[in-house]
Amino acid sequence: MTDLPPPTPQEEEEFLAAEYALGLSEGDNLTAAQDRARRDAGFGARVVAWQERLVSLTDSIAPVTPRRRVKKAVLTSLFAKARVPLMQRLWVWQGISLAAVGMLAYLAMPLLRPDQPAIAPQVFATQLSGDVDDLTVLAVLDPARGDIALRRTAGAAPEGRVLELWAILPEQAPVSLGVLPADDAAHVALPPELAAQVSMITLAISDEPPGGSPVGAPTGDVRAVGAVTAL
Amino acid sequence: MGREEIEHLIARVALNDRAAFEELYDRVSAKLFGVCLRVLNKRAAAEDAMQDTFVKIWKNAGRYQANGLSPMTWLITIARNTAIDRLRARKKGHQDIDTPGMELVAPGPSPEQSAIAASEAGKLTNCLDTLPPDRSAAIRGAYLDGETYADLAEKFKVPLNTMRTWLRRGVIALRECMSQ
Repeated sequence: MTDLPPPTPQEEEEFLAAEYALGLSEGDNLTAAQDRARRDAGFGARVVAWQERLVSLTDSIAPVTPRRRVKKAVLTSLFAKARVPLMQRLWVWQGISLAAVGMLAYLAMPLLRPDQPAIAPQVFATQLSGDVDDLTVLAVLDPARGDIALRRTAGAAPEGRVLELWAILPEQAPVSLGVLPADDAAHVALPPELAAQVSMITLAISDEPPGGSPVGAPTGDVRAVGAVTAL
Repeated sequence: MGREEIEHLIARVALNDRAAFEELYDRVSAKLFGVCLRVLNKRAAAEDAMQDTFVKIWKNAGRYQANGLSPMTWLITIARNTAIDRLRARKKGHQDIDTPGMELVAPGPSPEQSAIAASEAGKLTNCLDTLPPDRSAAIRGAYLDGETYADLAEKFKVPLNTMRTWLRRGVIALRECMSQ
């Protein structure tokens, strides 16, 4: 091999980023690259740029339609889970505290008044959480009364931002249900057109500038999400 | 298929919109399956990789915007990395390679920067051809066949350190060629 000058620090950086994007980093190199990609925006940008360049190696790969069962398997593995009953999700998945479940029952109590007709009104609930931070909100939806009771059990809006609640129905744009007050507990109205399809609703909370999203659609990070289930 | 359309679908998937997720699947699954098949060579394994890929897409769509990649690059990179993880899982000393958006949290490049990278991308194939053949073959082997330094060193019958030096020179030359 011919004697080439040793790589400059910048060239070495470029190489480490490409090596990481190629999946060649190993051992200590891999740990170091992972760590840098997380913390060093400049290095992260180099890695991303290599991913963008290298992906053109897949340009010549012809698309192949996968068998129908693949889509089915994907949907089952993702959404069968979402249909696990609420209580089971609370205990097994989220490991939510007994106190919070008590709170949920307390919130639901007025909705389940015994003086109602023999057919108990159906009540829906969800726990909204996300991976941005620990924001956790319990929501109990009563379509008959057009009401959503909310209780924040952890987390808060980021400094200088407010939390806005959204309802999402399949194939439709999110509908704002309003900005949440700073209090832990709140009630918001459930509009009749949403109440009619309550079991299909996914609730989401985004952070928005004070006063709420200026454009009628979420503009900030989606901090907590929960699919509604019958209680 | 428009970049904006796919970005819009990913944004809706980030809001747990299942209909958008199904639409995204219908739009991109054939390309991603092609990539998984190319890496894994076996239909059953590629189908398993597809399932993992779309679960990752569903769970990480919310982090897509932060990472600066074009939407198809993000999706294809997840599929490619997932397929290669599966390929390597059979071997000893397996380590996951990071899929962007899952591990990469540092802010990505600005849209202009990634546009530059994307326009350079078209030159990759030509620039690879300017490298000594064994070096370009090593880069392709790493990207498309998930070959490790050990695999490459064995294939080209050179010591491991020499292999890494080849790659280093190759990458630097490639970078220079692509920026011209």
